[in-house]
Amino acid sequence: MTTQGLQVNTVSLGQGARTWIRDDAFSVAPGEVLTIMGPSGSGKSSLLAAIAGTLGNVSVDLEPLTFVGDVRLHSQVITHLPAHQRGIGLVYQEALLFAHMTVAENLLFAVPQRMPRVERAATIQAALTEIELADFGDRDPGTLSGGQRARVAIMRALLAKPKAILLDEPFAQLDETLRAQMRAWVYAQVNARGIPAVLVTHDRRDIPASGRVHTLQREATHVG
Amino acid sequence: MLLANLSLTARRSVSHRLAVIFFALIVSVPIAWALFAVAGQALDSAALHALWQQPQARSALALSVWTALVSGVLAWLTAARLLAIGFVHQTLMRWMQHLPALLATPHAAMAIALVLWLSPSGWLLRLVSPTLTGFQSPPDWSTTQDPWGLGLILALWLKEVPFLLWIGATQLRRDDIRRRWQSEYGLAQTLGYPPSAAFARVVWPQLALTLRWPLLAVVAYGLGVVDMALILGPTTPPTFAVLSWQWLGDANVAQQAMGAVAAGVLTGCVALMAALIMYGRATRWLLVRGTMAVVQWPPLTTPVSLATSAHGVPPRWTVRAKRYAHSYGLWAALLVAYLLSWFALAVGSVSGLWPFPHVWPAQWTMGAWQQVGRSTATLWNTFALALASATFCMAWCMAWLELAPRAWHAALRPWLLLPMVLPAIVWVIGLYSVALFVRLEGQWLGLIGAHAVMVLPYVLLALEPAYQSVDARQGAVAASLGRSRWAYLFAVKWPQLMPALMAAWAIGFAVSVAQYLPTLYVGAGRFDTVTTEAVTLAANGQRTFMSAYAALQMLLPIAIFWLASVMGRPRQFARSAS
Repeated sequence: MTTQGLQVNTVSLGQGARTWIRDDAFSVAPGEVLTIMGPSGSGKSSLLAAIAGTLGNVSVDLEPLTFVGDVRLHSQVITHLPAHQRGIGLVYQEALLFAHMTVAENLLFAVPQRMPRVERAATIQAALTEIELADFGDRDPGTLSGGQRARVAIMRALLAKPKAILLDEPFAQLDETLRAQMRAWVYAQVNARGIPAVLVTHDRRDIPASGRVHTLQREATHVG
Repeated sequence: MLLANLSLTARRSVSHRLAVIFFALIVSVPIAWALFAVAGQALDSAALHALWQQPQARSALALSVWTALVSGVLAWLTAARLLAIGFVHQTLMRWMQHLPALLATPHAAMAIALVLWLSPSGWLLRLVSPTLTGFQSPPDWSTTQDPWGLGLILALWLKEVPFLLWIGATQLRRDDIRRRWQSEYGLAQTLGYPPSAAFARVVWPQLALTLRWPLLAVVAYGLGVVDMALILGPTTPPTFAVLSWQWLGDANVAQQAMGAVAAGVLTGCVALMAALIMYGRATRWLLVRGTMAVVQWPPLTTPVSLATSAHGVPPRWTVRAKRYAHSYGLWAALLVAYLLSWFALAVGSVSGLWPFPHVWPAQWTMGAWQQVGRSTATLWNTFALALASATFCMAWCMAWLELAPRAWHAALRPWLLLPMVLPAIVWVIGLYSVALFVRLEGQWLGLIGAHAVMVLPYVLLALEPAYQSVDARQGAVAASLGRSRWAYLFAVKWPQLMPALMAAWAIGFAVSVAQYLPTLYVGAGRFDTVTTEAVTLAANGQRTFMSAYAALQMLLPIAIFWLASVMGRPRQFARSAS
């Protein structure tokens, strides 16, 4: 039997002797936004990194973070795949627009390079128009407002045509009116594309109407 | 940072202002004066005309530009690839532990080691003679002082890679930058870019721009280097810097004037390079885009399957072996090159009679080391000079980075870094004029000052990133707890900065030990150091003695690096609460 959507089954997630998450499982249906909540330090961001496959980049001097478990996308195990082959988009709280590229180049970076040049340019222009930044293509991303940056970051993730998307507190740096608008827009995008989405947040108002919530407990187990 | 600066502005008092002015003056006056003095001598039109008439001058200049550019490009490509591997495989910080030993190997010692390996009677030919070559005596080849300067290029290349790597790694040592680049790199992967492409397109363009002026320093060093070129460089004609140095040392005043003008011509070359590297659009494209192919090919495998194993099964050993070769291959090659150099110096320094095709010396002798042990004046000069100039520079930088307003520092910084970029020969002419005027030529104080000018930029570069990464809010916290500024410095800030302070001091020490021209010229030939001894002995072809002094030239800074790493060791905490 094949199950559609994203399934994450964590046996353990931790660093060295510390374990943050143990025996945890959840699944997200296509088009659904699942909200993950939990206290600070419960390993939410590391869990997203494990799903996206970027866990290896998180630590440098410290012991590596270790994830034991499996991640399935439409019933296929993707745990062994490197990040760039997983097709899982990731949006951080800081928009992380590349500082050495213009706004348009940031978006272009996500568009598949096989696409013909003219078509790529048209895609970028359409995307800029959709996020109401039609005239901002040549701007330095550093000159954008917080709301504008967040929109570019989310659009960039969507342009890569991800099969699932992970949102790590994407609204945390926006003011109240912007947050409401952004939520509605993002959830509509996820719904329209029919991709599973995982949202990590501290703010209960971010939970979509009738959306499911998955709560992580603070484990903080010390072994030895 | 902004908050801290505001509070500083509010507190800035008259005494603070006076202190800033004092610290700015004691460093900027000698530098500006030296430059002013050298400008007067380098712009002599009669001497310039005479220089142009010299038959060797043009080919020597072409040779200098060639060796500097080729070695600079090779070092840039190698460093780019090493930074890519180090970043993708997260081995950079581990490599940094060995980097001090590579950095501390003086240029002259590296040149002497290459002579031991590459010369017609060197180890390379001994290893294959007479079995492969049939040589019973050293061939009449010019393998070390070759007319193309290839030996010099090789030595410069090997010496400059660790420097570029060091500056690149100090960027990545700043937590804010490292976190941001790692997030961006991870993000680019989620957008479908494999690790090496993600690094090449997202991190490298940002990193490369910060490495442009270290590259300028590398190229400028290659243009102006004298000690290495005397040992390894071509002789007919020599490089332009050597020519200039020979003329300066001539008894004839007209020749001396020509030497000063030649130094001015070298400065013009550096200025041209600076314009190209810092402002040229095409160069910028070449340095960033042109290097991308090397940065991402052959592709680097991701460490993800090590960190995230699906069923707890580690990857096959063939996969791991390949990954190992990718991660460590190039770095290992660099380390091996250095190890072979040190080994050659060690063996050379205890070799007695050593007939040609023999791989090992026929007699071993401690004679050279016994003489080293007796030359207490040379050792003392080297040690005292390095200690005094490194300590002065570190103290100055600590005061300056603590007190100077950001705008002042930004304004003075290019001047402080200038000694790294302008040919050493220009500085010795200028500093000698200053020393003559204040009657400190051939005096301890004048010599320490000359060394300090050369050491300062390295110490500053080593300290700056550490000072920038201090969270200035800690100062505010300390103040809000009722503690004085001094209490904050002694109890909070300096202990945190201890590893960086010690490393900066050791780097300053190493730079001073390696100085050749200032010691000879500003010291008026009255002070022998291990470096001046090693170069003189190398010029006379005294294998055993030159090896011993070159080894010593290296051992002194390495001992200091070791001492610094012990003194600056970060505090160790218990790993787990339970």
